[in-house]
Amino acid sequence: MRGPTVYRTAGAIVLSLLSARGARGQAAPPEPRPVAEVRALIDAAGAGEVVRVPAGVYQGNLIVSKPVTLDGGAGAVFDGLGEGTVIEVRAEGVTIRGCTVRASGADVTSEPAGVRVLAGSATIESNIIEDTLFGVDLREAPDSVVRGNTITGKELEPGRRGDGVRLWWSHNCVIEGNTVRGVRDMVFWYSENLRLTRNTVTDSRYGLHFMYSHDTTLEDNRLSHNSVGVYLMYSHRISLIGNSMLNNRGASGYGVGLKDCDDIVIRRNALLANRVGVYVDNSPSSIGSSGLFESNTIAFNEIGLLATPNTHENVFTGNAFIENEEGAATHGRGRLASNAFARAGVGNYWSDYAGFDLDADGIGDLAHEPRSLFGAMLANEPNLRLFVHSPAQQAIEFTGRALPELRPESVLVDPSPLALPPTIGTAAAGPGADGVRMAVVAAVLLSMAGACVLGMGIERGLPAAKSGGRS
Amino acid sequence: MSTAHAHAGPDTFPAAPSLLGGIGRFALREFRDALASKWFLLYTIAFTVLAVGVSFLSLSGIGSHGFAGFGRTAAGLLNLIMLVVPLMALTAGAGSIAGERERGTLLYLLAQPVSRTQVLLGKYLGLAIALVCSLCIGFGVSAGMLAWRTGGVGVGSYAMLVGLTALLALAMLSVGVLISVTSRRTAVATGAALFAWLTLVFLSDLGLMAGSVLFKLRVQEIFGLASANPLQSFKMAVIVSMNASLDVLGPVGAYASHTLGGALPLVLTASLVTWATVPLAAAVVLFARRGSV
Amino acid sequence: MILASGITKRFGRTEAVSEVSFQLGAGGSLALWGSNGAGKTTLIRCLLGVIRCRGRASIGGVDVRRHGRHARALVGYVPQELAFHDDARLGAAMMFFARLRGLPAGRAAESLDAVGLSGHERKRVRDLSGGMKQRLALAVALLSDPPLIILDEPTSNLDAAGRGEVVETLLRLRSAGKTLLFASHRPDEVVSLADRVLVMERGRLFRDTTPGELWPTTKPVQLVRLYLTMASEADAAEALREAGHAVHLNGHGLCVAVARDRKAEPIATLARRRIEVRDIEVLEDVQIPEAAR
Repeated sequence: MRGPTVYRTAGAIVLSLLSARGARGQAAPPEPRPVAEVRALIDAAGAGEVVRVPAGVYQGNLIVSKPVTLDGGAGAVFDGLGEGTVIEVRAEGVTIRGCTVRASGADVTSEPAGVRVLAGSATIESNIIEDTLFGVDLREAPDSVVRGNTITGKELEPGRRGDGVRLWWSHNCVIEGNTVRGVRDMVFWYSENLRLTRNTVTDSRYGLHFMYSHDTTLEDNRLSHNSVGVYLMYSHRISLIGNSMLNNRGASGYGVGLKDCDDIVIRRNALLANRVGVYVDNSPSSIGSSGLFESNTIAFNEIGLLATPNTHENVFTGNAFIENEEGAATHGRGRLASNAFARAGVGNYWSDYAGFDLDADGIGDLAHEPRSLFGAMLANEPNLRLFVHSPAQQAIEFTGRALPELRPESVLVDPSPLALPPTIGTAAAGPGADGVRMAVVAAVLLSMAGACVLGMGIERGLPAAKSGGRS
Repeated sequence: MSTAHAHAGPDTFPAAPSLLGGIGRFALREFRDALASKWFLLYTIAFTVLAVGVSFLSLSGIGSHGFAGFGRTAAGLLNLIMLVVPLMALTAGAGSIAGERERGTLLYLLAQPVSRTQVLLGKYLGLAIALVCSLCIGFGVSAGMLAWRTGGVGVGSYAMLVGLTALLALAMLSVGVLISVTSRRTAVATGAALFAWLTLVFLSDLGLMAGSVLFKLRVQEIFGLASANPLQSFKMAVIVSMNASLDVLGPVGAYASHTLGGALPLVLTASLVTWATVPLAAAVVLFARRGSV
Repeated sequence: MILASGITKRFGRTEAVSEVSFQLGAGGSLALWGSNGAGKTTLIRCLLGVIRCRGRASIGGVDVRRHGRHARALVGYVPQELAFHDDARLGAAMMFFARLRGLPAGRAAESLDAVGLSGHERKRVRDLSGGMKQRLALAVALLSDPPLIILDEPTSNLDAAGRGEVVETLLRLRSAGKTLLFASHRPDEVVSLADRVLVMERGRLFRDTTPGELWPTTKPVQLVRLYLTMASEADAAEALREAGHAVHLNGHGLCVAVARDRKAEPIATLARRRIEVRDIEVLEDVQIPEAAR
C-alpha cells in the first residue's frame, strides 16, 4: 500500500537532512580548496596508479586525462559550483571511486554532467552524485562499469532535467546496483550487450529507457513512482527478468512500454499498480520476430495489458493478471486476436475469469473471453474513465451482458486460462505489521458501536412510584 | 388576563427544555426506536455480510502478494458502499417525519414543549448515530477479518474509508429528511427516496456520461458536474485518500489532481459536507414554515 | 391564561377557523361546542402553536407563535386518542415525556400512579385499552403540573365507565385550580365541567355563552341519532340548530340532544324542510347535573 504523498515527501526531507548532515559531519574542512590541487595529485601520479584524494571540498571542474584510479575515500567532495561538468574523463581505464560529486551546471544545451566519460573501460563506482543535470554520461565509452552509485538529479521540473545515467554508443557495459532518483531517464542509446542488474530508479520520467540498443538483459531492477518503468524503443533481443515495476503512473504510466521492438522476452517481472502494466506499441515490428511474456505478475494496474490494434505475434503464457481494473485493452478499436494467450496448453491466470475447472486439471474448462461494454466505451471516450468504480459502470456492464446486440467483441481469447494464480518468485512489498493495527481499527469501530448501543440504546427502567399501587 | 399572571408567575411555571436538551431527548428516542426496528437490524446484517464478503474476496485475490492496489475488489467495496449506504440513509431519512405524520404521532409530539426544529434535528441526530453505528459494525467486523488474515489494506486508508462513508451516510440522510418533510405519506416519501437513490446512483452518472459524449464536454465541466454528485465526490475522495491522486480516473481525474492539487480532498469533502448540511437546513426551514402538521 | 384574537386558519380554499377571539382567565373552564368540522380541533391546534395560523394567541402571556416551546410548557394536552409509538412501552414513553420537560424519573412514576397506571410500565402502548390510553395521555399532560390543560374530545372514544373516570379526574383538576379548555360534543360533560361554552359553527365563533343558557331545561335529556342521506346531513344540522337543538355530526349519523318527552321534534323539524329521515336510534340518557346550572 502506497502512503499519501505527504508521508513520502516528509520521508524524503528527513533523508536529505540526514545525508546532508552526514556529509558535513564526516569531512568539513574549514576552507574549500581549488580542484587544481587534485589535478596536481593526478599529474604527479603515474599511469595506472591510485590517487587518494584527501577529504575536503574541491571546487571547480576536473579533467582526468591519465589512466588513474581516483579514490575519494568517501570524504572527497567535488563541487562544480553550478558550472559545467564536474569531472570529465578523457583517458581509457580511469576509475573514479568513493567521491561525492555535486553542483554541475544546469544549461540543457551544453548538457553538463556530474561525471562525463569520453573513453572506454572506465569504472565509476560507489560515488554520490547529486545536484547535477546529468549524473553519469558515457559517450563512446565501451567496456565500462557504473556500479553502486547514488545519483540524485537537480530540483528542476521534469522537462528540464537531465538523465541520471546515459550511455551513448557504449557497448558491453555493466550498470549495476545504482540508486537513481529525481532525474529524467536512465537511458541507453545505440549501446549493445549491456548488463543491467539491481538498479533502483524512482521519481523520474522513464526508469530504464532503451533507444536503438540491442541484445541486453535487465535483471532484478526496481522501478517505482516513475512516469514509465522500462521503456524500450526500436531495440531488439532484450530480456527483462525478475524486475519489479511499481506505481509508475505518470502521463504515460506504463510498467513496461515496448515500441517497435523485436524478440523481447519479459519473464518473472512484477508489474504492480501502474497505470498500465504492459504497453505494447507495434512490437514485434519485423516479420519473423516475436515477443514472449511469461510468468509475470500483472496486478492492480488500471489496465493490465494495453496494446495498439496492430500488435501481433506475441505469446503470453503463465502470467497472472490479478485485479487489474481492465485486464487487457487496445488503443482505439481492434482486438488482440493475432497474439497467442497460451503456449502448449498453458494460458494465463485471470482474476476476472468467469469459468470453472470441473476436471481439476488446473486449466479452466472454458476459454477466457473478456467482453466489457464499458471498456469498449472507454477506448473511444477516455474521459468516461471518471466513472469507473461506480454503480453506473456496473449498470453499463450489466446492460452489455444482458443485451447481446450491445455486447462488444472480446479483446482477446485465452483458450486455456489457469484456474489458480501461478506462484511466481517476484519480489513485492509485503504488508508489514498491518494486521495488528487493523485489529486495533476493528476493535475501535466495534467498541464505538457497542458503546453507543449499550450506552444509549437500553432503556432504563422507571423507578417504582412510592405508593406503587396497581389499578 | 392579568389574573392569570397573578395566579402563577413565570418562575413557578415549568420551563421548556433547552434547545440542545430537547434535541438530545429526541435523538435518544430515535436511536432507540431505530435499534428496535427491523430496518436497522436488516441493513446492519446485510451491510456486514456484504462488506466481509467483499473483503474476503479481495484477500483471496491478493493471495500471497500482500500488495494491494486499487483493484477490482477494492472497487467492489466502493461499489457496495455506493449502492447500500445511500439506500439505507435515504429510506431511513424519508421515513422519519412522514412516518410520524402518517401515524398521527407527530401532532402529539409537537404539542409538547418542543420546537419543530428540535424535533427535526433530534430525529436527524438519532438516525445519524444509528447509521454510523451500523456502518461501524459492518466495517469493524470486516476489519477484524482483514486483521485476522493479515490483510493488505492500509490502516489509514481504511479509516478514511470509514470516515468518508459516514459522511456520505449523513449527506444521504439529510436528503432523506428533506424528502420526508415535504411528503404527506410514508409511501410517497419512500418512493421519492428510492427515486433520489436511483438518480444519484445511476441516472445522474449515466446522464453525465451521455452528456459528455454528446456535447463534447471539457474535462473541467465534467469534473464540476460530477463532483456536484455526492456519490462521485465520495468515490473521488476515497480514491484520493488511497492513491494520493486521481489519475486513476483518466483525463478528468488527472485534470482535477493537477489543477486542484492538495486542495482536491478539501473540495470533495466540502461537496459532501454541503450535501449533509444544505438539505437539512432546507428541511428545518420548510418544516418550521409548514402551516399544518 | 389564554388570549386569542382573530385566529384564522385556512386549509386551501376552506376557512377552518375564521376570526375567533376570546379570553380565558386562570382557573376558568371553557368548553368548545360544535359539530364535527366546526373548527374546534383546528382552533385547539392553533392555540397550541402546532399549526401556523393568522391572528394572535398567547398562553400565560407567552406568545404562542414566537415562543411556542415555552408557551406549550404551560400546557398539558390530551388528544382525542393518544397517538404514540405503538411499540413503545408505557414506562419508556413516560420517561421520554418526563425527560423532555426536564423532570426526574420519579415524577414520571408518580404521574402514572396518579392515573392508576403504575404496574403497567412494561406494557406496550399498542396493548392498552382506550381508557388506559386516555389515562396515559392524562398522566403525560399532568407530568409537569401545568396550569392549563387543553383537551380535544377526550372522551369520544371511551365507554361510559371510561368517560366517568376522565370527567372525575377533570373535576378534581378544576377544583385544584387548573384552567381547562376542552372540546366536547356531550352536553353532560359540558354542563358538569365548563363554566363557559364557545359554540362554534363552520369555523366561526357563534355564541359565547354558559351551559345553563344552552340547556335551560332540568329535564333529563336524551341523545337521538338520526340516520339521513349523506348529502342532506349538513342541511339537516343547520335546520336543527336554527330550531334550537344541540347537534353534532360524527360520521355515523347526526346526534341531537332532546328532552325525553320531545323526541319527535327534530323529525318534525326536518320534515318541514323536506329532509327525509331514514331511521332513528335513541341513545342513552344524559343527566344534566343540577349543580352545573
